[in-house]
Amino acid sequence: MSRKFLLGAAAAAAFVATGGVAMAAPPILIGVQAPITGTYADEGQGIQKAVQLLADEQNAKGGLLGRKIEVKACDDEGTASQAAICARQLVDAHVVAVIGSYTSGAALAAEPIYARANVLQSSDGTSNQLLERGYQTWFGNAPPNSAEAVFTANYLVNVRHFKRIAVLTDHSSFATGLADEVEKDVKAVHGNVVDKAFINAGSQNFTPVLTQIKSLNPDVLYFSGYYSDGGLIRAQMQQLGMKAVFVGGDANQNVSFGKIAGSAAAGSVILNVPAPQDLPYPAAKQFVAAYKAKYGALPPSVYTLTNADGMRAIMQAIAETKSTDPKKLEGYLHHLKSFQGLTGTFAWNARGERTGSPFVAFEVDAQGNYSILYPKPAH
Amino acid sequence: MGTFVQQVFNGLTVGGIYALIALGYTMVYGVMRLINFAHGDLCILGAFIGLTLLSGAAGSGHPGVALLLLAFVLAIAVVAAAGVLLEFVAYRPLRRADRLAAVVSALGASVLIENGIMIVWGPNVHVFPSGLLPETVWHVAGAAITFVQVLIILASVVLMAALYVFVHHTKFGTAIRAAAIDQDTARLMGINVNRVIVTVFVVGPALGAIGGLFVGVYYREAYFTMGWVYGLYAFIAAILGGIGNIPGAMLGGVLLGLFNAFAAGYISSSWQDAITFALLIGILLVRPTGLLGERVAEKV
Repeated sequence: MSRKFLLGAAAAAAFVATGGVAMAAPPILIGVQAPITGTYADEGQGIQKAVQLLADEQNAKGGLLGRKIEVKACDDEGTASQAAICARQLVDAHVVAVIGSYTSGAALAAEPIYARANVLQSSDGTSNQLLERGYQTWFGNAPPNSAEAVFTANYLVNVRHFKRIAVLTDHSSFATGLADEVEKDVKAVHGNVVDKAFINAGSQNFTPVLTQIKSLNPDVLYFSGYYSDGGLIRAQMQQLGMKAVFVGGDANQNVSFGKIAGSAAAGSVILNVPAPQDLPYPAAKQFVAAYKAKYGALPPSVYTLTNADGMRAIMQAIAETKSTDPKKLEGYLHHLKSFQGLTGTFAWNARGERTGSPFVAFEVDAQGNYSILYPKPAH
Repeated sequence: MGTFVQQVFNGLTVGGIYALIALGYTMVYGVMRLINFAHGDLCILGAFIGLTLLSGAAGSGHPGVALLLLAFVLAIAVVAAAGVLLEFVAYRPLRRADRLAAVVSALGASVLIENGIMIVWGPNVHVFPSGLLPETVWHVAGAAITFVQVLIILASVVLMAALYVFVHHTKFGTAIRAAAIDQDTARLMGINVNRVIVTVFVVGPALGAIGGLFVGVYYREAYFTMGWVYGLYAFIAAILGGIGNIPGAMLGGVLLGLFNAFAAGYISSSWQDAITFALLIGILLVRPTGLLGERVAEKV
């Protein structure tokens, strides 16, 4: 009896000493699975920084449900094998939810592990394979491939009136998924695809395949892969004297694209949701300013913000349901009518696919700046 | 026709780079019977050294060509020094040990250098400054050939010819060849085998540094895992030509570049590596010692 009383008194004293909430309960663990090193390191580090920033901001307001939020990060190096290792590590650490990863391949490898352990997963991965198994723990935070492909086909065929479209992709699950959809949707709007070719991501030497594509005389080259290859492809198109317009899928949007392409960057078109600093929403402007103040640089791409939206939605779910029970959180997120994200208003359908996708076409100039080309910004 | 000529130049450019890097593998193997798996990473170290100098001096008003020459000299010096250090630390203590121990040491050195580059320069993709070299483009038989491509092809040919003359027509080259045949006998003939090995670890990495910096200048980007990609291709080029054989490494590099360009251009870009390597396996089935490799009696 007296022992219990003493323990209670000690706990109460600790409660007072630490100013209340902090020590009252164990922290809520949120995992980050991202390519913190490797080819996509700046994207991976951006996701980690964004989640940490949101957690710090929330903790400054007293945390969630009287508990602090603690972020636990794991580097998946953008590879499927390392992703599976990360997933097991984070599950063993008893995280409530995981933000990331950046690449669809890494998210796909981790997805069943989180689903079995009932851990929520919010990644910018948009490969259709991520939706096929119907896991209730999956919440994609980037607009689905299908939305991008429909927009792309319409832009190439109906807006720019290209007559000979060449499609180029790497072998990643993300890029091939997008290229397949674009090819299908271009044909659906009666466009003419003259070639579909592949590159090996990171191999740098794309002149053989570009020479082959050049011989087919396309008026546009659509590339669905990542910026590190896209910038080089653009530079090598110029080197080979190709006249075709370069149109890149969303993963080409990164500050490095213009640097790698150099003088060839000018006139390239990239289809994506707006860049972090161009997002018109007040919450987005506030987030980008706080990110810049804390880390001294802008977020590397919009995926930093879609992953931040995943984190924000999960925090909102925890606050609204007053629970960290995964079943309750999943139910809340699946039935959310509209979520006010940094990247626009959206919701999730039953498959965990994001609905609501504000795509635009950007033109890149010689300095690597982006300007919105289509739809024309309203004044 | 234009497409064919273009593919030949596409292939020759990367082939020249593969050949320069392959020479380092083949020279070390020739003398020490060791695959120096850290060689690819040493080459990329050269690209990063050059990158640091070029980005630091960008916009300083000095002519691009002079800066580039200085970058090459610096990269060669640093990488050659790293090569000698590598031999001294990682291979010399194991020279009389089991051959597997040296291979494991080489793999460890590769991981060490790769991660060292990541720690010093960071994990992201680095971009070389533009406008260092003239952006002249020549049109030959319907193909577009840039100044950088011509520079890479010419420089590799000149360097390879110089190496051939050094190894086959100088006294020291004769010592290298003698050490390659039999180190103990060479020692009995008064050849300082240690000096030969150090020379091999200067010349191989120096040529590799040039190859690595050409990669950076041609593609204008560098990242820390690149050594693995180029190391693998160059290693295969050395095997294709007959490992231990210097003209073989040159031939192997150029052929590998051309195979790759033709496989991507005329058959399928998604199968380009598969086709290239299938061809390689085919050649090795017919000539197990590589194209120019000689059948050597097993030393017991």
